[in-house]
Amino acid sequence: MRFILRRLGFFVLTLWAALTLNFFIPRFMPGDPVDALIVRTRGRVTRESLEGMLTSFGFKPDTNLLVQYLDYLGHMFTGDWGRSIGQTLGEPVTSLIGGALPWTLGLVGITTVLAFLLGAFIGTVAGWRRGGTLDAILPPIFVVTSALPYFWVGLLLILVFSEWTGGLLPSNFNYDTSIVPGFSPGFVGSVLTHAILPAATLLITTIGGWILTMRNNMITTLAEDYVRMARAKGLNPRRIMYAYAARNAVLPNLAGFAMSLGFVISGAILIEYVFNYPGVGYLLYNSVQNVDYPLMQALFMLFTVAVLVALLIVDIATVWLDPRARAKG
Amino acid sequence: MRPTRTLAAAVVVALAWTATACSETKRKDDDNNPTQSAGPRKKGGEVTIANTAGQTWTCNFNPFNPAVYNTSIGFVYEPLVFVNALKDAAETPMLAKSYQWNADKTQIDFTIREGVKWNDGKPFTAKDVAFTFNLMKEHPPIDLYALWTTAGLQSVTASGDKVTLKFKEAAQPYFYAFANQQPIVPEHVFGAGEAQSKPETWVDKKPVGTGPFEVDPCSPNNIQYTANAEYWQQGKPYIQKVQYPAYLDNAPANLDLASGKAQWGSQFIPGIEQFYLGKSKDNHTWSPPVLNVGIYPNLDPSKKTSSNKKVRQAISYAIDREQVAKIGVGGQVPVANQSGVVIPTFDKYYDAAAVQKAGFDKPDPDRAKELLSELGYSPSKPLKLTILSITGYTDWDASLKVIKQNLKAVGIDLTVQTLAQQTFVGRLYTGDYDFAYYNQQTSGPSPYYELRQMLHSANTAPLGENAPSNFERYKNPQVDALLNEYAAADEGRQAEIVKEVSQFMLDDVPVIPVVCAVDWYQYNTEDIAGWPTEENPYAQPAAYNFPDNGQVLANIYSKSAQ
Repeated sequence: MRFILRRLGFFVLTLWAALTLNFFIPRFMPGDPVDALIVRTRGRVTRESLEGMLTSFGFKPDTNLLVQYLDYLGHMFTGDWGRSIGQTLGEPVTSLIGGALPWTLGLVGITTVLAFLLGAFIGTVAGWRRGGTLDAILPPIFVVTSALPYFWVGLLLILVFSEWTGGLLPSNFNYDTSIVPGFSPGFVGSVLTHAILPAATLLITTIGGWILTMRNNMITTLAEDYVRMARAKGLNPRRIMYAYAARNAVLPNLAGFAMSLGFVISGAILIEYVFNYPGVGYLLYNSVQNVDYPLMQALFMLFTVAVLVALLIVDIATVWLDPRARAKG
Repeated sequence: MRPTRTLAAAVVVALAWTATACSETKRKDDDNNPTQSAGPRKKGGEVTIANTAGQTWTCNFNPFNPAVYNTSIGFVYEPLVFVNALKDAAETPMLAKSYQWNADKTQIDFTIREGVKWNDGKPFTAKDVAFTFNLMKEHPPIDLYALWTTAGLQSVTASGDKVTLKFKEAAQPYFYAFANQQPIVPEHVFGAGEAQSKPETWVDKKPVGTGPFEVDPCSPNNIQYTANAEYWQQGKPYIQKVQYPAYLDNAPANLDLASGKAQWGSQFIPGIEQFYLGKSKDNHTWSPPVLNVGIYPNLDPSKKTSSNKKVRQAISYAIDREQVAKIGVGGQVPVANQSGVVIPTFDKYYDAAAVQKAGFDKPDPDRAKELLSELGYSPSKPLKLTILSITGYTDWDASLKVIKQNLKAVGIDLTVQTLAQQTFVGRLYTGDYDFAYYNQQTSGPSPYYELRQMLHSANTAPLGENAPSNFERYKNPQVDALLNEYAAADEGRQAEIVKEVSQFMLDDVPVIPVVCAVDWYQYNTEDIAGWPTEENPYAQPAAYNFPDNGQVLANIYSKSAQ
């Protein structure tokens, strides 16, 4: 219990530190929202008018930084995240994030889970049949693919499956722009076909890590006495593989998996960027481009909270799974 | 992949002037308008716009919000008079059927068109016009063109079908802004609730306007506009539907243009011959030059090198502009010249003899070498210079590579430093640079607008403060006086003034124009006809040019529907 309380205290402290950095770092970045807006309106509109407009949207650079900071902390907790002052001038930040988050959770979230499950399975089989055909082929291939940069794989897939095939698979956006969103078969189908290439990119580049660690854990676990014991008892090999070896081998990976779930929300910025996928990562890119402080703050806050919560869950899970952690606490 | 960009080249301006010669001007309905002589067409068809938005649509159509106004102005909201910057400021009456200035141009009376209806069925009246301007007075942030401050607007009143605008001093230079740029909004919508109390932040989901199209429906990925059946221009618009997908990047937008899926393009297409024009005989492009892109030297005396005229002259003589246009921008833009007058758009104001006399009609590396040797530099002992550019502007990178080679040959070692756009503009505005590659952002119906922005000392600021547009910090009382005289001069004198100002461009070399900035425009004629063309430039052709887009939308038609 004391361990968990200590972890909670640490969580709060980290959150505060992260929120503070989130507030100050964007303000130390070069650039100014007014300049960014002048560029985007092609200098058509006077500086004074743009300043006035940004002020009505809640941008008050002249107030004391400390007051701004305290306001900001309060707003972060109450969910009053303000309005965008960048490219989507005037749009409430909550609705912007609300519009982008489901796409990221859907694409990156599902792909992350899929990569973990598939990777763990392939790793299990490869480790079980060490030196077999599967073990000889897959791990080396995935060592290579997991070292490839996201965006490069993405561009390659676009070239091969979209450009060379004359647009067989869509290479940008989340669904066909000519379809009005709704639960029609056409819309769902469109969403799925648009997700294939980005999801494949993500899968190809992340699955390798899971396979390798799982395979190596399997090999270590297979040398354990309880596995030998199970074999000696004459248990069904399938049962030994899954219930004895894999079940124990996957434990170290679970922590990593929880962490990567925490990172899902920050999206795969480069993937969303290459595929023009309007998720949270793309939103973050745009907000930085346009010096959109309110949007940036809210996004960074979400990312931080997601990772911290994931860490907290890992900590608690460790306590639950590992008696040694409890004993130390 | 990403680093292509929409070359910012736009109409508009805070300061404007219509080419009217006499002091009492009366414009009528039957004003000569080439687009209206085309005869009635049958309705039908659909057009898709491919203009990179860089974001999904927020479905806010508030015409006072500069982040979204180009999806509502021209489509739904209309101005009083349309002024064509490409055709010597030719005027087309829109919501005002005529107007009259008083003798000293401090008061203008608009006669409002009768029989116009808002798309919710309510009649449009002079009161709506007066209301629009007065709303801007109450809420300075929505007075986007500073009419109540800089332009000196004092009062706007409606009586019968007349609307009277009174100014503190002669205000004809602002006609372009208040008659052409400013859309008129309905009092019965903007006169109540949040729209009235906070028009700048109000979200206009279902815009009520007088224009040729209505929004129906809007989703984050696409805006569909449908024709306004009750549009006041009888029989128009011919096109019944407009699709405006939200392209996040140039690449997919350009792909859709090349495949014919989209018919109206408005961004730079690299390698356009192969990528776009070669794909179909129906694919066309015409990109009228409107501004100069060039080198901005910092003229502040504290900058020893860039404020040295000989250095600037040497650079201008050394650059082979034809080569820059051909290699750097793939031959898609015309070359600029040292006089600062964009040709062929503004031929009337161009003084070819003066340019030739100053020796700027062709590259002259020998003269550049001579100037540099006077300063003690040569190809073996080069002068080292640094120029700022913007990361991702690939056409600028390529242009600067050519310039670097040109300069190397005469004894200047140019280092190109690319910065993120925000950092770049921050340093440009505050004068924290030696040389920068850039272009003015707003053009108007004559070279006066760009020259005024570039050279008038009212548009500059001391180092460390934001200069509005005279980034190079040029200060010359003679040029100021000439530019000030322009507003009150007659048409002939105006052309002379531009020529005299451009003589200062030749003499002082305050800015070094290299190539032209254009309105990027591609159009497909497989089904759609009636596009603006070089022969019939009835409006600035890019989809982001408003209210010009309204003219295009009301005039294009589907061939298959005829």
